[in-house]
Amino acid sequence: MIQVEGKVSKRPIVQLKNISRRFGKIEVLRDISFSLRRGEVVGLVGDNGAGKSTLVKIISGYLRPTSGKMEVRGQEIQFSSPRHSRKLGIETVYQDLAIIGQLSLWRNFFLGKEKKKKIFGISVLDRNVMKKTCLEQLRSFGLKSINSANQSAENLSGGERQTLAIARAVYFESRLLILDEPVAALSVRETRKVMEMIQLAKSQKIAILYIDHNMNHVVPVADRIAVVEHGEIKRVVRRGEMTANELSDLVAQSGPN
Amino acid sequence: MKLAIEKLISWLRQHRELGPLIGLAALCILFEVFSKGKFLTFPQLSALAALSASLGIVAVGVTLLMISGEFDLSVSQTFALAPILMATLITEVGLPSILALFLALLGVSFVGLINGVISTLARVPSLIVTLGMLFVITSVNRIIAGGFPVQLFGIEDPILGLMGSDVPGTPVGAPFLWMLAVFALSWFVLDRTQYGSWIRAAGHNAGEVGRAMGVPIRVVKVTNFVLCSVLAGLAGCLQLADFGSAGVNSGENYNLLAIVAVVMGGTSLFGVRGTVLGTLLGTLMIGTLKTGLILVGAGGEYYTGLIGILLLLASLVNVKAESLRRKGG
Repeated sequence: MIQVEGKVSKRPIVQLKNISRRFGKIEVLRDISFSLRRGEVVGLVGDNGAGKSTLVKIISGYLRPTSGKMEVRGQEIQFSSPRHSRKLGIETVYQDLAIIGQLSLWRNFFLGKEKKKKIFGISVLDRNVMKKTCLEQLRSFGLKSINSANQSAENLSGGERQTLAIARAVYFESRLLILDEPVAALSVRETRKVMEMIQLAKSQKIAILYIDHNMNHVVPVADRIAVVEHGEIKRVVRRGEMTANELSDLVAQSGPN
Repeated sequence: MKLAIEKLISWLRQHRELGPLIGLAALCILFEVFSKGKFLTFPQLSALAALSASLGIVAVGVTLLMISGEFDLSVSQTFALAPILMATLITEVGLPSILALFLALLGVSFVGLINGVISTLARVPSLIVTLGMLFVITSVNRIIAGGFPVQLFGIEDPILGLMGSDVPGTPVGAPFLWMLAVFALSWFVLDRTQYGSWIRAAGHNAGEVGRAMGVPIRVVKVTNFVLCSVLAGLAGCLQLADFGSAGVNSGENYNLLAIVAVVMGGTSLFGVRGTVLGTLLGTLMIGTLKTGLILVGAGGEYYTGLIGILLLLASLVNVKAESLRRKGG
């Protein structure tokens, strides 16, 4: 077992201790220990089927580990749902599950964490505040062409959708942002934009877990990179230790035979 | 100028009820012309209101359910079950009408609960679950009613009066006002509350994005199944109070007609999009067709055929709009 530990001495935002997960007889994750600290980007790489997605689902509250412990800011936690994980400041941006195209931008931005106000004792949506806040946030993240938060999200480009999802995570003061292949379907220009967003989120002291197949994306942004193979962390690579090509070779060697 | 046009297109796409509004207006003009000015009269419109009330309330529940990506084919028998329970509790058990109404609605809420739990937890498609439930409830209704209609004739009761009698001084029945109240309340819930946003989120991609955002998708869907059953039951009880009797066939075809009203009202067959205002217009279109055909002396055999044609047209528009959306058009 290899511990993925950073040099930063601060208490981790999230710490996984010997996490394992079985699906029937198949052990998909084995004895994973992992920590993420404020303002650092940890890359998670590995071949298909290595266990990355299962690990993300455990941290984001979709799945429960079969064994092992998870701590959020020093408190041992067993997530009951993604809602529980979001409440504790863990936001996940999935490649395909970031946005509901048919909904307006403001409804997407605040989905699950809607702002409410009381009218005659009845809790109703505070639509004006949400629209205003959404527009301000999107503009501050560089989406200057958006004129109204009322517009439907279906006309956003892939990069703009990911930007909205990241802006949402930053706005809700998430402590850990999990990005699960956020640029897999994006153009070069849009990918660059998302990378800028990651740097922006990092500068706001958010811990980031970044999952990507493309090492050219991971290497420039990650402070540490964990290589997952057959459900275990096989190696941890620190910034500057390996080039993208060397890391690709390492993952290729560790993949299924 | 370009911005104004973009805003107009965006507004039109967001207001899907514009299509059914045009359709309803066209039908009204058509029947007004063919009936030589007899359609847009107060007696005719109050007949339209009476015909639309029950179906409208059922269709509201179906709208919420379809926006959250599910269907309920059992509503026609749930519509009959509630008044059968209510009348039986009043006449056989001797319960006060308000308590009988409450227990009848509680009873049908279990129907929705079972539909919802099997659909969402066991992941059996709701079309199949509610089709099965349709047959089960048909049987239950026949057993309870014993093959005869239940009746409340001669019972003087202020609650029944509030539910079913005409508004004093007008030919408009109370059920129509109840229908408007249900529409107003459900518009409020869908448009102005957190639950409304969650209903829409539940309809997208089996609720996966919503779940990732922490929305309790299963709870939302099960709640919608319960609401749908309770609204169908309420509509049945209002009709019982209005007509004085109810039977196994009281809500015949309401399961399909409600879907027709919802689809004609612009609610997407793929979930997320839809409005209760559109459903109100869709319900009124069905009522207009029925009363209009009677007025112009056309045989009843034309009614079902024309409903079918309208549904096909509405579905074609619906699917085309969705395909344009997916292409970013």
